[in-house]
Amino acid sequence: MERIKHFVTENPDLVFAILLAGSVFTFFAITEPLFFTHRTGFAIMERFAVLGLVGLALTLCIIAGEIDLSIGSNAALAAVITVRFTDDWGAVNALLLALAVSTTIGAIQGYFIAYLRIRAIVLTVGTLMLLRGVALFAADEKTVMLTDFRIPDFISTKMLVYFSPASLLVIAMFIVVGLFMTYTRYGREIYAIGGARKEALASGISLQRPMIIVFAISGFCAGLGGIIIGLRSGTAQALGLQYLLLAGTVAAFIGGVSILGGKGGVIGAAIGTLTVNFLNTGLVFNVTPSFMVQLYLGILLLVVIMFQTGSRVFEERQRRSQLLNDVDRRRSILAEKIAEIRRPSG
Amino acid sequence: MTDATAMSVDDLNFIQRIRRDYSPLVIAMVGLFIVVFVAGATLTDDFLTWFNVKTIIRDAALVGIMAIGLTFVTLSGNFFLLSMKEIAALSIICFATLMGAEWNQWGPAEGDPTTSALMMTFLVAFAATMIIATITGAIQGALIGLGGNPIVVTLGAAGLFFGIGSWWSDNLVVSYRRPHGAEWLGTGSFLGDIPNITVAFIIIAVAAELTLRYTTFGRQVYLVGANRAAGRATGHENFGMAIKCCIIASVCAAFVAVAFSGQVSSAHVNYFSSEFGSSGDMTIMVIAIVMVGGNSIMGGYGSTLRTSLGAIFISSIDNMMVLNGFNSGARVLAVGLMIVFSIIVFALVRRGSRAVE
Repeated sequence: MERIKHFVTENPDLVFAILLAGSVFTFFAITEPLFFTHRTGFAIMERFAVLGLVGLALTLCIIAGEIDLSIGSNAALAAVITVRFTDDWGAVNALLLALAVSTTIGAIQGYFIAYLRIRAIVLTVGTLMLLRGVALFAADEKTVMLTDFRIPDFISTKMLVYFSPASLLVIAMFIVVGLFMTYTRYGREIYAIGGARKEALASGISLQRPMIIVFAISGFCAGLGGIIIGLRSGTAQALGLQYLLLAGTVAAFIGGVSILGGKGGVIGAAIGTLTVNFLNTGLVFNVTPSFMVQLYLGILLLVVIMFQTGSRVFEERQRRSQLLNDVDRRRSILAEKIAEIRRPSG
Repeated sequence: MTDATAMSVDDLNFIQRIRRDYSPLVIAMVGLFIVVFVAGATLTDDFLTWFNVKTIIRDAALVGIMAIGLTFVTLSGNFFLLSMKEIAALSIICFATLMGAEWNQWGPAEGDPTTSALMMTFLVAFAATMIIATITGAIQGALIGLGGNPIVVTLGAAGLFFGIGSWWSDNLVVSYRRPHGAEWLGTGSFLGDIPNITVAFIIIAVAAELTLRYTTFGRQVYLVGANRAAGRATGHENFGMAIKCCIIASVCAAFVAVAFSGQVSSAHVNYFSSEFGSSGDMTIMVIAIVMVGGNSIMGGYGSTLRTSLGAIFISSIDNMMVLNGFNSGARVLAVGLMIVFSIIVFALVRRGSRAVE
């Protein structure tokens, strides 16, 4: 009991995320009889494979105090490359090429952000457009398609009731990145440049290395997500996948990252993504059109942001009023002392 | 004979001064770009004709008006709104629904409606659209002003507005019949062969530039953008400023929506996502214009004149590529390259002169 209390006070954001995920799940489990079944569990894990990667990528970026807007374009480019070259070179080669391209793009972005000392949103809004152009070029401005559908079948094979090769790969990815962020120096550097950039730079951490690592991981995750989508559906469009940014951001913020950086973690990203997936899957049962899902996600993001901003402003006010009280108290003590000194002479 | 050792700043000629102020890399990049542009302009047939110049400015008008609105937000230090096209989508649905509504038809029940009746219909729909745009802008501005990150707030707001717009129109095309009161704005031209939308673009550009330069509000925008702490110390909180600037951006987006709806006599939420222009996405195009124009994304530096020129510049590059028979992929690639290029150049130029954030 004592340990639970300690956990709650130490990680309020994570507890909030777990509670939100639990309540969303319980709501749909009660209202939809088909929701709490093995089949729906499999469907949720299948969605998790894609959205989890994007949520993970955005979580890492936001921990580093930046945001990667080009994630949708990067995923679309990887999907186009994979689907286009699978027929000629085999799935594995095409997949590796796409991963190499998207990771390199991410690393280059990170390098330029650190070298030019600009905010990531500035550069990534440019690369959003640039990568779309590259993807259009790579796809010849058509929707590219697979002809051999054995690969999509393999990717969504059911294993161990809930999992498929894709979702197992993504879970492994989560574990590796989680260990990397918690137990290595490079991971902690990422937290440092996000939470207290000036102090981190002053203490000798270079801005370049963590930036390149973060954006390379982000590019890798975006690319892998795009590849999974592309191979699973067998088609890819150069201008598609832009919805990933909103869903991934919602997942990251539910998972407890702060826009100021330096907060949050991989477990939060997983729980945030699961919450979004519960919502998405549950709304499918109600035959909700996709634009309503977007509306709900938008409201969810605004509510989380309002909550976070409100608590920050409240804390600041609290701190300021505490400071003023402190000053007042000391001033009154001083006034008393002065009065005491003056009394005998006056 | 000048003494080489005692050469003052005034003795430097133009080229020497440029070489002193900017690094060789920047000079090489800008020089290469100018050479490519001039070569393209002279080698492309029919590019340098009066008709084509009019086409370029007309194409720049709609995105340009939106970008002028967004410039206020950028100058006040609030980055940019990722919800521009969703605001426009909500506005165009509102406008078209009211234009087509049964109760909104003044004048005789039978026969052709009179001009004044059409005008009244237009004014009612226009006013309602502007009110909606003001509300959307005020909501986003308030959230940003309270300390929310502009990117994340507007990303959420974008989903919300798009959802409301789709829900209102049932995700269908809303159309209304000609003749209607918005034709003069969409396709008409009072000044001979210059379309009205071009005139509107020029008027809005001039008005925005004068506002920024010569009014108290304009100076306050620059102050809050350049130094937020100084702004707060002199009584100009970002709260009010963010609301005002977001309302300006929203109203500009709504105006573009009305003009575009007037052209096609219909509305759909996806008009600004997929079918508009070559580049697919209106929001990114608008942000591209603000950046290519050379406004500082951190705020406090830039002008709407730069934005207008950026719009015309991107439009002329696009036009040049169309005349040379490039596909949309190449054109999107070119715009993307221009944004990244201008980001890098402006970051390098400003590196020495401005304090790093």
